[in-house]
Amino acid sequence: MLVETAGLTKVFGDVRAVDDLTVQIPDGAIGLVGPNGAGKTTFLRLLLSLLQPTAGTAKVLGRDIGDGVPVRERIGYMPEHDCLVPDMTGVGLVSYMGRISGLDRDTAMSRSHDVLQFVGVEEERYRKIAEYSTGMKQKIKLAQSMVHDPQLYIFDEPMTGLDPRGRTEMLDLVRTIAKSPGRNVILSSHLLPDVETICKYVVILDGGHQIAAGELSQLLTGSTDRLRIDVRGDQAAFARLLTEAGFEADAGPTGLHVTRRPGLESAVFDTAKALGAEVRYMGKEIRSLEELFLELVARTEKRGA
Amino acid sequence: MSISLPAYSRLELPLLGRRERVRAIIATGLRREFRRPAAIVVIAIGVAFTTITSIVLVLFASFLLPGQPLNLSFFALPASNGFVLFFVSLMAAIIGSGLIADDLHSMAFTLYLSRPITHLDYLLAKAAILAPLVSMITVLPLVITALIAALLFPLVFSWGVALQAVGLSVAVGLLLMLFNTSVALFLSSLTRRKGLAAAGMFGGNFGLFIPASILASAIGNPNLLYLSPWNDYLAVATAAFGAPGIGIDWPGALAILLGVTVLAALVTYLRMRAVEVITG
Repeated sequence: MLVETAGLTKVFGDVRAVDDLTVQIPDGAIGLVGPNGAGKTTFLRLLLSLLQPTAGTAKVLGRDIGDGVPVRERIGYMPEHDCLVPDMTGVGLVSYMGRISGLDRDTAMSRSHDVLQFVGVEEERYRKIAEYSTGMKQKIKLAQSMVHDPQLYIFDEPMTGLDPRGRTEMLDLVRTIAKSPGRNVILSSHLLPDVETICKYVVILDGGHQIAAGELSQLLTGSTDRLRIDVRGDQAAFARLLTEAGFEADAGPTGLHVTRRPGLESAVFDTAKALGAEVRYMGKEIRSLEELFLELVARTEKRGA
Repeated sequence: MSISLPAYSRLELPLLGRRERVRAIIATGLRREFRRPAAIVVIAIGVAFTTITSIVLVLFASFLLPGQPLNLSFFALPASNGFVLFFVSLMAAIIGSGLIADDLHSMAFTLYLSRPITHLDYLLAKAAILAPLVSMITVLPLVITALIAALLFPLVFSWGVALQAVGLSVAVGLLLMLFNTSVALFLSSLTRRKGLAAAGMFGGNFGLFIPASILASAIGNPNLLYLSPWNDYLAVATAAFGAPGIGIDWPGALAILLGVTVLAALVTYLRMRAVEVITG
């Protein structure tokens, strides 16, 4: 297992940023998604032991996060916020971070040139970081996380502040790392299409809680005994009539979701006829991550209300 | 070494121990300071001024101190050199104030802590960057003065006396260095703005020295001198060299200096532990 947590909790004052989180995350490319304030960054920082948990335990790569130093030796972290030393050169900073990670001077310098080449920072590597654009800074942040070739990469919102071209470049780099053997990636992002293209497994957080976790393909396919119905017309009335007809139907932001059982198809068309509505799609419940996310968040909010 | 990504599987790079990682922070930190014009100027002028004024004191000792025996007690004079106070404050302000504050300001502190080092490693490395630079003001000039005294005036200052003076200079110089290093890092850890830490350094040294000295003589209570770290240092230095004291007991002054040094270091450590991580 890449990450195992049991009752992991972090409280800041009155706010439970991570609340009783129990999750088992397998090796590979993992997406960590959730709205702003969901607890993603706090969760990542707990894994790095940058924060001490209020309660619960967590293991990363089989080691307790309380071990600190041996855990961080195997992790490369790319923070969301700006964190670079402005008066250092790109190659100077990356090599410096390599040395603090335990590489000897020559290896650190050699690796820093390698990873800077990999991320696409060429001659600019000799310029001071203060002179870099946002895209270049993001690449330096990525390079410093790679310099000691860790087993686990933690990327916290790596696309932040990037223009579409920069975002595509960064996405390609993250995808390349995620696909390379022996390396694992935890990608935290609220840009769900990005997560969808890179990750095989996702953990969805909201309000510090895990609201879903699993193989992305399974989560998106959903349950085979449920259908999704897109209706042009009064969707709420449609759901109500189906419910009255004895079917389990939910109207959500991504359409109607109905549990399949004999007679459903004819009931759907009867209802459409009665309401003067148009059935535009009726089929297997295949959602995008965004749709799944909206549905889960809406369901959580409904439960909370 | 060729690029290991993306075609090849992960390399298990051999990692050096924590001591090497701390050394890397120290070496890089010192290299960065020696590239900063402000730091170079302060170091150069500070060392030059304190050393030259101390040597002048040696050369003109018989004129400046008529009647005073030129023995070990003479070396209390260069140790009490006011330039030491000024430049040690300037050094701690210009170099020490930014050591942690800059990392908090740029949020690079997160980057350090995401590496396989502890808070203590980080703080020890920062202290080890500042300490040798401060000792260039607090120790080096005094040692040079003692050696020059023995070289120029072998009949007046015997090598035995000079070597004793070197030893005592190192001891009292290290005391002042430890105090200023610890306090500078403490102030630097309190803020993201190094200007505030620098002002605090000057305020702590001069803001206590001048009022305490004036008040002590005005109301005739020498105990007020304990409030000033420089006066505490002077009490210890004069006692160490066997010179007449400044009116306060050296054991109390030494206890205050060491106490403040340890307390500042401890609070800095606890403070940095509490910071946990910096966010924008």
